[in-house]
Amino acid sequence: MTAMATPETQTQARSARAAGRGAQATASSPNPMEKVLVWPYLVRIEFIAALLFLLLLSVMAVFIDAPLAPLANPDVTPNPAKAPWYFLGLQELLLHMDKALAGVIVPGAVLLGLAALPYIDVRRKGTGVWFYSPRGVPITVFSFVYTSIWNVALILLDEYLPVPGEAGAHGIGPIIKYWLHNLQAAGWPLGDGLINAVTGWLVPSFIMLLIPASLMLIVKRRWQADTREQAIALFTFFVASFAVLTIVGTAFRGPGMVLMWPWEIPPANH
Amino acid sequence: MSVLEWVKSTRVFRSIYRNPYPSTTKSRLAVMVDSLVLHLHPARIVRRGTWVTYTWGLGGLSAWMFVILTVTGVFLMWYYIPNVQDAYWSIRAIESEVVFGQFMRNLHRWAAHAMVILVFLHMCRVFYTGAYKPPREFNWVIGVALLTLTFLMSFTGYLLPWDQLAYWAITVGTNIGGATPFIGDQINFLLLGGYEIGQATLIRWYTLHVIFLPLAVIGLMSLHFWRVRKDGGISTPVLEDDEEPGVPPAMEEG
Repeated sequence: MTAMATPETQTQARSARAAGRGAQATASSPNPMEKVLVWPYLVRIEFIAALLFLLLLSVMAVFIDAPLAPLANPDVTPNPAKAPWYFLGLQELLLHMDKALAGVIVPGAVLLGLAALPYIDVRRKGTGVWFYSPRGVPITVFSFVYTSIWNVALILLDEYLPVPGEAGAHGIGPIIKYWLHNLQAAGWPLGDGLINAVTGWLVPSFIMLLIPASLMLIVKRRWQADTREQAIALFTFFVASFAVLTIVGTAFRGPGMVLMWPWEIPPANH
Repeated sequence: MSVLEWVKSTRVFRSIYRNPYPSTTKSRLAVMVDSLVLHLHPARIVRRGTWVTYTWGLGGLSAWMFVILTVTGVFLMWYYIPNVQDAYWSIRAIESEVVFGQFMRNLHRWAAHAMVILVFLHMCRVFYTGAYKPPREFNWVIGVALLTLTFLMSFTGYLLPWDQLAYWAITVGTNIGGATPFIGDQINFLLLGGYEIGQATLIRWYTLHVIFLPLAVIGLMSLHFWRVRKDGGISTPVLEDDEEPGVPPAMEEG
């Protein structure tokens, strides 16, 4: 990665500023802060990139047809009915908690959090440098792996953890619901509304906050992460969750949204 | 005199292109300032701003996808009928009867997917290079809005073919909207234009897809590009010594 934060780039930037605008580059190592003409040095790259993408997409359009299923029929529900791929992460989330929490609160909170980011991480230090510091890459890799393991583990638990005494029932929420119903039967004053709030809202919210909170704690302890490095960990948590949930929702969910291998999923029935 | 040279010497040609082909420093500066599209860029830029491994060209390519989608989209609009009786069959006709119809529909679909991916990757690039930091905070917010609009443009287009994929994907999507606490029913009614997916839904989503959302994106994209220039151009490393908060950023163009 050419633009990685190294002492060298910092020094180069410093000397370029010191030399003032229009500093002449030496033939051996062009000064990165030297001003160059946009025509041709940038325009040619953009032109080539635009042509390349038009070409690639055109080749794709020649050989791969956009899908078209039979005419819409409200009486025939495909199994499974899926949203477009970029929403399948949300659809995956819907399987594990209350609809409103997964489908509205979580994406709303993500968008608000993203928009608020530059007003929380306000220091200018780290602008224009890939991964900020020598700790940036290890923090990013660790956050990605850590989050992915949590996501995959929770999806597997929710799919395969059996509820005692109920054939076919599975999942973290249903098990907690089973315990709470036992307590209810034992005379505890637990209403059904409260039980649903605990299993559909409280427990999933706790888990969804536990992952980034524990991640923050680890990067602070292990790398003495500052605000920017914590932001890197949090953003990577978001990217990894989006990636894992989208991949699982797209390729690993078959009829009845049951977890299965991609090659086991039968062709869609329309 | 060759034909080309004669064309270039005509009054008409010279009224369109004010500058000779940009081959000297002076004409290369002039072409950036004088042309509508190129003047999105400054005439000069720091060398590191041209490094492919810095930006990966993701923002520009996202905008390029929007151009491809506009051109192919207008082509599709010539044949598509936003009516529940005809919508599906007009798509079938585009695929089987219209010259280049299948190609244009395919290109529209694949460019749409590419735009969603490119916009998302552009956000990742801007994040991991710290390019959202002051003075670029608000441009990051505009970017988040553009990401949301990109999802919405793609999703509203998904209903239009009126096939089983479209119908049931929109059923799933609007059910999620209907789960909104307190105002779920109202949201659902707003999304569907009624109590079930029908003609009202189709015309509503069609209008959003072909007029409202593209116009909103054009507006926000203009603001986004303009702010890039106003916030100091392509992001460059900031030195420790000019980091004190409250110091206005250098507004020189980069």
